[in-house]
Amino acid sequence: MEEFKITFLPEHKSVYINRGTDLLTAALKTSIHIYNSCGGEGVCGRCKVIVKKGDYITEDSGRITEREREKGYVLACRTTPKSDMEVFVPEESRLGDLEILTEEIKAKRLAGLYTPVEEIEEERHKTAAKIFKHGPLSTKIFLKLPSPTIDDNSGDADRLLGEIKKHHKEINIIQMGLSNIKKLPRLLRESGWEVTATIGNRNKTTEVVLIESGDRSKKNFGVAVDIGTTTIVAYLVDLNSQKVLGSKASYNPQVDFGEDVISRIIFAQHEKGLEKLHHAVIDTVNTLIDNLIKEVNLTLDDVTAVISAGNTTMTHLLLKIDPTYIRKEPYIPAVNFMPVIRAAEAGIKINPRGLLACLPCIGSYVGGDIVAGILASGMDKTKDLTLFIDLGTNGEVVLGNKEWLMSCSTSAGPCFEGGGLKSGIRAMKGAIQNISIKDNSIEVQTIGNLPPKGICGSGIVDIISELLKNKIIDRSGRIKDNKICKVRDSEGVKEVLLVETKDSAIGKDITIDENDIKNLIHSKGAIYTGIEVLLKETGFKKSDIKHIFIAGGLGTALNIRSAINIGLLPDLPEKNFIFLGNTSVAGAKMCLLSNEAMEAAEAIANKMACFDLSTSAAFMNNYSAALFLPHTDIESFPSVKKILGA
Amino acid sequence: MERLIEKWQDKISEVVIGAKKPIKIGGETGIYFIDGEDKCPNPPSVAMEVWDMEPEAWPETLKSNFGSTLKDPVEWAKLCADKFSTDLICLRLASTHPDTKNASGQEAGKTLEKILKAVSVPLIVIGSSAPEKDNEVMAHCANVAKGENCLFGIATQNNYKTLTAACLSSGHSIISEAPIDINIAKQLNILICDMQFPADKIVIHHATGALGYGLEYTYSIMERTRLAGLSGDKMLSMPMINFVGQEVWRTKEAKTGQKDTGILWEVVTATAYLNSGADILVMNHPKAVEEIKKAIKKLIYN
Repeated sequence: MEEFKITFLPEHKSVYINRGTDLLTAALKTSIHIYNSCGGEGVCGRCKVIVKKGDYITEDSGRITEREREKGYVLACRTTPKSDMEVFVPEESRLGDLEILTEEIKAKRLAGLYTPVEEIEEERHKTAAKIFKHGPLSTKIFLKLPSPTIDDNSGDADRLLGEIKKHHKEINIIQMGLSNIKKLPRLLRESGWEVTATIGNRNKTTEVVLIESGDRSKKNFGVAVDIGTTTIVAYLVDLNSQKVLGSKASYNPQVDFGEDVISRIIFAQHEKGLEKLHHAVIDTVNTLIDNLIKEVNLTLDDVTAVISAGNTTMTHLLLKIDPTYIRKEPYIPAVNFMPVIRAAEAGIKINPRGLLACLPCIGSYVGGDIVAGILASGMDKTKDLTLFIDLGTNGEVVLGNKEWLMSCSTSAGPCFEGGGLKSGIRAMKGAIQNISIKDNSIEVQTIGNLPPKGICGSGIVDIISELLKNKIIDRSGRIKDNKICKVRDSEGVKEVLLVETKDSAIGKDITIDENDIKNLIHSKGAIYTGIEVLLKETGFKKSDIKHIFIAGGLGTALNIRSAINIGLLPDLPEKNFIFLGNTSVAGAKMCLLSNEAMEAAEAIANKMACFDLSTSAAFMNNYSAALFLPHTDIESFPSVKKILGA
Repeated sequence: MERLIEKWQDKISEVVIGAKKPIKIGGETGIYFIDGEDKCPNPPSVAMEVWDMEPEAWPETLKSNFGSTLKDPVEWAKLCADKFSTDLICLRLASTHPDTKNASGQEAGKTLEKILKAVSVPLIVIGSSAPEKDNEVMAHCANVAKGENCLFGIATQNNYKTLTAACLSSGHSIISEAPIDINIAKQLNILICDMQFPADKIVIHHATGALGYGLEYTYSIMERTRLAGLSGDKMLSMPMINFVGQEVWRTKEAKTGQKDTGILWEVVTATAYLNSGADILVMNHPKAVEEIKKAIKKLIYN
């Protein structure tokens, strides 16, 4: 078969591909990450690249404007080479490098996904320590064994286990594998009967995971990982001192295979699809762990436990379990309560005998990330009625208190993470996160105060609220002619100009059009309706809710007033809303440090009921009422009614 | 046993249509036809459709009632008013559709002017369902009929601004239509009122379905609307209209059935809507109009 050389600019990275292979696949091979929400189906229009040299075949797409076409823009996923090519990948088509961002977040207080350890986590860590007794997933104990004599003649292994039990009276059942026993006779004698035993909790029994000579009990570390649909976050934790030593975040590279869980489940059914998805996630987790330990001069052997919190699909893909049946009626996952396994079995590189635990999932569409969130928020401990909202792609909502918990997944879409918007980007440097309209002009504020690149989730919420307040859009989200900002027609769709080309970092205007607004209205409508349906199903009123916890990538950058103005959040006193940032990784860390916390997580998963919105008649009716700003029934938003003067 | 009579906190707005012989619709403070509860000052009205061109798709059994007047909208309107004693006339400007005669707004305006002179019954004026053309035609016609206090239609979620502005400046009422969705109906009314249009000049249309063709969906949405309106929802407390004839006479039963099938179909469909709260029934067949008028009398005075 004919091969062509494709060179990607400006990096000048080259790769040889066969005739018929598309440019998106080629870019992936050079590890240049190009946006694509649809999994290379030619639908989302995010993978625009500019052809500088070479012949090619491309499918026409409405996603490329006439002007762009003249400049050589094509969709990478729909374009195959006819000769060697040079292709330029513009800034707005790239996935940014989040790892650089972790350096900056301390100052920028971009919590949420990137919750700075020093600020919020330590605070919660203290409360958590009070609630849950310290008892990590794996513990190292230094043992000075009595030397055997003719009278004290128990076997080496029995001697070791006996000594462990003497120190840890709470241990009932303890076991040790053959490979460890085989190593024992020599190891014990060479070390002068002074060894460090790593004991791990495996499914209610205690296992001697590892035996090393000498005292290594000070060096025991674990990693808590949040595997989100879009972002993966890892914390390195000292299992003795309970301190977080570092945090790193990265995109979930599975985004290359589709933006939401459904498209990934479908991709998993392709040939080698599951393999690719699995490797995408474990490679990232391994890289993050590697970077974390290097920063504090540890070795992989020092890390003896990993714990992961992710939604049900993410957990399946991490463990390379076929997720097919999650999507098919009656929507049954392969496993909700995953037993503790060896991390190596899942391809995670830590100490070869180290353990991997997964936060339990509740059902096909409510997973371990939400269990972790409930655990971290302490919602399952309060007697007050509490609402937990995860503003992510799945948009889970949980209502309840210490007696009961009810959850649903609203499939809000990627809007809050910048997806599905013409100028949308994830919360990265240069993302517009706030705007204000004063004296008839629009002022934008970006993360890092850098020239704007696009709009992130909290930005879009703020923008819609400001446009509504200033009567630039009507309550159905249609753009009106006004004196404040420039309204123009872009291929039949009205749009508002927010940032002109000369002020933007991407060499073109940043705009918001009526389709973007419609997408946001659908997302916020889904979340709000989820809340309403849960309240209705449980027989409570909005005013009964005492606390509202907000988790997810929007986190502390979200303007609560704006979110109420557009009808995303219920109209309750602003003081009742509490930002928690990334509760998934916070909950995972708690379970890493305490078996009690893990048991509490299991109790949460057992206790929580899932309400299926797809079978709810009330959902469809309430949903169409929520597709208005702030809502068709403005009486349920009295404070917004006042602001709008309606 | 004592009968419980529901007391409603609010009333449906009363819309006045017409100038020479104005009629009132709406104004209910209860549910129609429930003994003791139906404090309904204005009985439901019946309108007959008149087209500004011959309706070619109508079956012969329907056309034959109007003879040569089908070619002359003024005569057709007179026939409906004088012989069939309709309460209102619904003028459908079908000739303006780009796929029919593509007649101009001016031509349509002339026809409207002539009919206004010839008959004294109030007028409903609707376009040809070609959104862009309707905007041009209806804006002109609303101006032509200025002061005649007509009911103009049809405003939809995607196309309401031009018509609303035209009705506002010429003093007409407006039909707001939603696709069998109570929320969209309310949203549209909010949007129309946000343009400073008075709420008591709006009539709701919930996309009529003929018997066997979705009637039950429209029926239940209308019931819900009426209950919401009587319970105090100002953006749903408007009278309602149904285009019964238009839907019935395109069913295969009405077109190909026996002589009376279409009439019965129209009467049954209309009667159902009376019970769900319809204030104006737009109908086609004179015999069906006669029967439904009898039915209204019976329901009200029994």
